[in-house]
Amino acid sequence: MVSKDQNSTTWSLDLFFKGGFKNITQEQIILLIAAVFFVFFAFAVKGFATFGNITIMMRNISVLGIFSIGMGTVVIAKGIDLSEVAVGAMSAAWVLQLATDGMNLGYAILLGVALALFLGGLNGYLIAFIEIPALFATLASGIYVFGFVRYFLLNNQENHFLPKADSAFLFVGQGKIIGIPTPIVIFAAVALLAHLFLRLTRHGRFFYAMGDNEDAARMTGISIRPMKIFQYSLCSLIGYLAALVMMGTTGSINVRIVSSTLIFDVVLVVVLGGISLIGGRGSVFSVIAGVLLVGIILNGMTLLHYTLPTQDLIKGIILLGAILLDTFLHPRDEETARQGDI
Amino acid sequence: MKKDDNKTPVVKIIKANKIYGSNYAIRDVDLDLYEGEIHALAGENGAGKSTLMKALSGAIGLTSGKILLNGIEQSFNTPHDALEAGISMVYQEPDLVNEMTVGQNIFLGNEKALMRLRGIFIGAQQILQSMKFGVDTAVKVERLGEAKKRMVEIARAILFNPKILIFDEPTSTMTPEEKMYLFSAIRSLVSRKISVLFISHALEESLELADRITVLRDGEHIITADAKTITRETLVHHMVGRAISKTHYVKGTKRQREVIRKKRKVLKVENVIKRPYVKNMSFTVYSGEITGIAGLVGAGRTEIAKIIYGAWKRNVIRGGMIYLDNKPIRYRVPAQAINDGIVYVTEDRKRNGFFETMTIHENVYLGWLATKLGRRFLISKKAREEIGNTWIERLKIRALDPKLKLIELSGGNQQKAVVAKSLVQKPKLVIFDEPTHGVDVGAIEEIHNFIRSLVKEDIGIVVISSYLPEVMSISDRILVAKDGRIVEEFKPQDATQEKIMYAAVH
Repeated sequence: MVSKDQNSTTWSLDLFFKGGFKNITQEQIILLIAAVFFVFFAFAVKGFATFGNITIMMRNISVLGIFSIGMGTVVIAKGIDLSEVAVGAMSAAWVLQLATDGMNLGYAILLGVALALFLGGLNGYLIAFIEIPALFATLASGIYVFGFVRYFLLNNQENHFLPKADSAFLFVGQGKIIGIPTPIVIFAAVALLAHLFLRLTRHGRFFYAMGDNEDAARMTGISIRPMKIFQYSLCSLIGYLAALVMMGTTGSINVRIVSSTLIFDVVLVVVLGGISLIGGRGSVFSVIAGVLLVGIILNGMTLLHYTLPTQDLIKGIILLGAILLDTFLHPRDEETARQGDI
Repeated sequence: MKKDDNKTPVVKIIKANKIYGSNYAIRDVDLDLYEGEIHALAGENGAGKSTLMKALSGAIGLTSGKILLNGIEQSFNTPHDALEAGISMVYQEPDLVNEMTVGQNIFLGNEKALMRLRGIFIGAQQILQSMKFGVDTAVKVERLGEAKKRMVEIARAILFNPKILIFDEPTSTMTPEEKMYLFSAIRSLVSRKISVLFISHALEESLELADRITVLRDGEHIITADAKTITRETLVHHMVGRAISKTHYVKGTKRQREVIRKKRKVLKVENVIKRPYVKNMSFTVYSGEITGIAGLVGAGRTEIAKIIYGAWKRNVIRGGMIYLDNKPIRYRVPAQAINDGIVYVTEDRKRNGFFETMTIHENVYLGWLATKLGRRFLISKKAREEIGNTWIERLKIRALDPKLKLIELSGGNQQKAVVAKSLVQKPKLVIFDEPTHGVDVGAIEEIHNFIRSLVKEDIGIVVISSYLPEVMSISDRILVAKDGRIVEEFKPQDATQEKIMYAAVH
């Protein structure tokens, strides 16, 4: 009844969405904008629309894309995990440290899985049982994970390199499977699995239910707390996978990545594509749409030799635009607003 | 108060219409309000009282019709326009900041820059005194009773120099003493030449307070009469005068019981304590009958339901036992209760009842997935369709398009979906908390019929309701709660509204 009230203020943009594009979703809008940018750069930048550049672009956005899918699953359930990059990257750095110290890389990677799951589970525990808001819990854990792993598990260097003996691992980042770079294949596989999980499994539906209305989910009989531990563990695991791909691309991990703006790029991609922070909305397609737009714009701007501040400015404006779009598509008024919106 | 027919009314509403979708919320409603008059609006839930008042106070616009103020046509786009024109509204729930003092609340939003606390208290005191309200301005609002909170709200409204004050169900959470107190406060407004519109579905109140009464039914204007000449019986006749109401409120005993089975004790609550909500509460629920729990808001009815269901975040009780089928139970989370076969249909569906981004089918299927039966890895679209369609048919959910999200459906359909989501979990005991709150008249009857049809199954049914006619018509046994205890039990043939109310208050 809310939006159908004839006397509600009809704004031109509102009319545009309601009238012109009746059932358009945010990810379709973002895909449309991505296509516009693609065409624009193809004409404006020499060498943009070549097969080589597109492959490079796709490879670059794969890591961001995998991170974003992990984040996306959590945001759908109305959480947020600001420690995803820290947990993933620090676990991967520990793997390199162990390998450098002489451990078999395979075992090291398994230990990394265990570390990532433990840290993710700890996040979930803080949020589910101690009931710290996800924003603060993961903001804090991003910081202490960085300090803890660096102090206790790593030597005091920033850069950790893959030992020469294990260079076969570089296949993950630099190799190709039937002509397609491996990172893209991994991204596609993660996206497909996440999509099937969210659409077709009981727990996937519970993610949406919790994001839509956590109280209602609890009253319906969904075990909220174990589900949250599961969500944050899953997110950390996917983050760890992304960090491994990153490690495979360069053969090294620089722990400085944790304090970079990567985590905000991840949030940008997720929100841009239409996984609303209100929760319960969006899908894996949203992540793909968001990551394509961000990838195209970043690649185009780099080829145009934009300086970093300019790039940041443009990224910031896009994020703001995405949030504005989110507000228009999901207006928060008396009827729809709930307490605890981020 | 004398009303002079030659005078122009302060407010004149002519042929007001408001259409939602294809339904008339109000249809060709006329209303006059004279200076210094107290005018009551009566009608059942969904009769259009609130819609009319919202239109008058500028919260919604009319589809067609005119509003004349002192003979001049006005159109309000926002509540602020109405406020400027001298129309203030006092809402159902007190809209005050509990942490602030009375004085600060009265001036909230209208403070002058650098206004001192002393100035605020003096100003507030002047307003309160001028109406002879005995409220201390330096006391925090959280320490006031309901009637005094209302007075603070009235004082705040008076600050705007209103000509018309609208009260929307101001007494729904009040004790009789508080009501008397409030009524004398409202009467004192008349001396300030303020006109009062008073909405209530308690008829005695309207008859006692008002000069004239207007009855609305199904969005249409039925009658406007002088309160002194009309009796309660005629008023009821006007309010419910339609075929549906004849069968609507039939006392429990006159109903035909199709199956009389041996009653089994399903739930036993013994001396449960959770202060300050529940104090030594004890009652028993049998299968094959409907146990109604009446009482005022805050009597501990919802709270005991939440204790049984494990819905409290910290579900600690300070004593007492709860037995389900003679086995002691105590749940930390609702999931455990559902596993054991207890479901609770919430009183506040918007807050914790349904998933707004999902369709009816998805909502009902999620209820099923959350049970032991639904424990599976992959979901089944076929099962979702089947389960959804079964329940849509059983509860007569009428959605134009089953693909619509639940937030886009009417309150009645939402409530039915919430009921279906719980009942799909195959309960042994079902607790309905205000099952027809905010539901249109047609859907109320269907939900009642559905609840009655559950009697045939071998389950315990509890209906918690603050609306006495509902409790009286649906229950086979009526329990009355007061201050965290069950204080009285009635057979439906013995119960009258007066008796129940007396037990609930004294």
